Amino acid sequence: MIDPSLMTDLARLDFAWITSMHILYPPLTIGLATFLFFSEWRWLKTNDDEWYRLTRFFEKLFIINFGAGVATGITMEMSFGILFAPFSQAAGPFFGNILGYETITAFMYEAGFIGLMIFGWGKISKKMHLFATFNVAFSSMLSAMWILVANSWMQTPTGVHLEKGLFLVDSWTHAIFNPNFLTAFPHMLIACFEIGLFFVASISAWMIYKNRHAKMFMRTLTASIMALVIVAPLQVYMGDTLGRTVAKYDPAALAAMEGHWHTYNADGTPNTSWNVIAWPNEEKGTNDFQIAIPHVLSLLEDHKWVSTVPGLDQFKKADRPPVVVPFYSFRIMAAAGAALMLVAFWALYLRLRGQFTVEKLQSRPWFLRIVILSSILPYLAVWTGWWTREVARQPWLINGLMRTSEGVSQMSIGAEIVWFIGFMLFDILVWFGAWYFFSKVIRKGPDMNAEVIHGITPEPMHLGDMPHEEVAEGKPLFERPTL
Amino acid sequence: MQHVMDFTNGDHWITLVWWALIGIFVVIYIILDGSDLGAGIYSLFHSDSKEKGAIMASMAGTWDANETWLVIVGGALFGTFPMVYGSVFHYLMIPLMFVLWGIILRAVSLEFHHYSKTSRKYWDWGFGIGSLMVAFFAGVSLGAFLQGFPMTKGEVPTFGGSYLEFLSPFSLWTGVTATIAASLAGGVYIRARFERNSDTYHKALKWTNLMFYLALVAILSTVIWTFVQFPWAKSKWAGPYWWFFVLSGAVVLFATWSMRRASHQKRDVAAMVWLAIIVFINFAIMMITIFPWFVPNTITIFDAANPSNSTGAFTYSMLFFIPVMLSYNFYQAWVFRARLGKLAGYGDHD
Repeated sequence: MIDPSLMTDLARLDFAWITSMHILYPPLTIGLATFLFFSEWRWLKTNDDEWYRLTRFFEKLFIINFGAGVATGITMEMSFGILFAPFSQAAGPFFGNILGYETITAFMYEAGFIGLMIFGWGKISKKMHLFATFNVAFSSMLSAMWILVANSWMQTPTGVHLEKGLFLVDSWTHAIFNPNFLTAFPHMLIACFEIGLFFVASISAWMIYKNRHAKMFMRTLTASIMALVIVAPLQVYMGDTLGRTVAKYDPAALAAMEGHWHTYNADGTPNTSWNVIAWPNEEKGTNDFQIAIPHVLSLLEDHKWVSTVPGLDQFKKADRPPVVVPFYSFRIMAAAGAALMLVAFWALYLRLRGQFTVEKLQSRPWFLRIVILSSILPYLAVWTGWWTREVARQPWLINGLMRTSEGVSQMSIGAEIVWFIGFMLFDILVWFGAWYFFSKVIRKGPDMNAEVIHGITPEPMHLGDMPHEEVAEGKPLFERPTL
Repeated sequence: MQHVMDFTNGDHWITLVWWALIGIFVVIYIILDGSDLGAGIYSLFHSDSKEKGAIMASMAGTWDANETWLVIVGGALFGTFPMVYGSVFHYLMIPLMFVLWGIILRAVSLEFHHYSKTSRKYWDWGFGIGSLMVAFFAGVSLGAFLQGFPMTKGEVPTFGGSYLEFLSPFSLWTGVTATIAASLAGGVYIRARFERNSDTYHKALKWTNLMFYLALVAILSTVIWTFVQFPWAKSKWAGPYWWFFVLSGAVVLFATWSMRRASHQKRDVAAMVWLAIIVFINFAIMMITIFPWFVPNTITIFDAANPSNSTGAFTYSMLFFIPVMLSYNFYQAWVFRARLGKLAGYGDHD
């Protein structure tokens, strides 16, 4: 344990839980909104009804996901103040501003256009609707940007100075465009695209596997998986870039991620061994067990055969991050990223061999099965990536400037436990619900009978859209209120 | 206190404007979501599942947009008054926790109700209980806020009490008051949203009448309790500007009378508008009474403000974004102007 205080650790657990349960949704919102923009654009371009059906189908899934994101997101926004009050106050001049920008320039912006996107069918022109979809995608990316600004600044807090207990901003440019942000934001944004693309690809693959509208879903499968041929390797490259940024600005975090204890070997040469697998012993300051390959670590971090990579022995015991979580979650994330890249390459191979057709994929269904199963990996990668990032920054809350134990609210242990149990129940309820209704919508499949809505229709919305029995009996639920 | 009155300083004006803006965001949230919460509470006392479903459908397209304002409050507060954001939210950990659980429960129930068949009755209950939780604990939070709280000493003072500090007869009573007030708003809202010949419309009348008298008693007693318990309120209300508060009280009484009259004449939307006006004025009176404190007897507005270069940066950015936001919000309202009577819910997933 880096911090003996139970209160601090429970506060971290409380926050880790609500964050992990929230990040299940926004990345998909971003990725899927971008995809919806693409498919709707295809519809406008080709005037092919199938693209319309596909858009409306994936939009239903988008709505469920968005709702779950809002339900879990409101908690996030208050929890900085509740669980980390001294941090919120001290970092407020910068951090608070950034979260304020997030809610006002991104969240409100998004909320405005999402109404148009969901309820605007038949009320606005096709081009206007496409514009609304574009804005939903763009504003959700903006939202991710602000969140990454705030979090990256905690990793590399530039552009501020500490005065009377407050982090005052000297340079907004330096604080916003801090070194970590410049690589972490692209890494996260690409992760969002990857999660969205694999979501679309796996649902399309399932439809083809079950031979339901297989030809139609071949369009989305091809589009998403061919995009992944570019996106998945790009993500591996961005991950490497971010790794080197961390190596440069936060060597302790990197050493923890790699289980790298000793800077030098016993003979005085730099220790360049990379641990494939290890079990760290934090008391003794070494690994109890490891399988290591020489030179890989320096190649990874410095792109050199031999170079000195600072190990954990360069840091005081009190300043060392815990090792187990960053070490393993980092490896799981990297493995997931590599596996996803291989799936994309497999698809490219099939395509080049001319085997990427409905009939051929169905007759040799392993590719489809793997694509369906691999949709879980991007989620795993996002979780483990964030766990790596957050745990490897410990014991600091603001790297090198404020310890986690200094930033935590003075809470009672009991209250923290009640918080944890309560949010465990409610967040699992949301998670279960969201994925249950995903499966329900997916099993039902796209609506092939509804009229295609081309722009503004004279009698826009019918009560028939309502799910209630009363409507079926022809009895209207509401009348227009009058003053 | 001296620097508080130094209005030659431009930063002070910006700070004041943000204080007022945050107040406006809060009151918009109370007005918009209060009706939804009240309708949820109403549904707890009426067992017809179809009726509950209809109530939920009536807010399908709006409840999450209404909740947006709560998010805005949090974001703007963190951006402009981090001292308040940190210390108050920490102080209110327990009641806010219940508010958040209520919000999640209600959100989940609203969504699930549309999709489910067999489990529908549980989501009906979840919707009602979630709404009740939010209304009650938000009221408790407001009462606890008015009480103020102990702060730590040091460079950056923060909340320094126990986690049950919020609990008092007064805060529990404000919780009850908020629940009753929300119930009234819910009744008025249902009257405006349902057909005049429907069963619900008539049941909501009985409910609204009952809640009106309960609310009258609850709010008056809260006002008297505030006057007796809090010196900062007494000194304002009985101070040199007493006539202002008497006048405002008279306006509130007039608005209350107008609301009742509108209700009796079945001008149900007008009743809703009058109720919104009452809430707005009451909230404004509360803020004026508290001034120059942000949290009574705990933090002043100016001590709570972000250091000036941060507030300035925030303000300049907002000067750019607010017109942009207003223009697309206006466009959105214009597009949906005819939607009042015919809501299209999320229900087309079915």
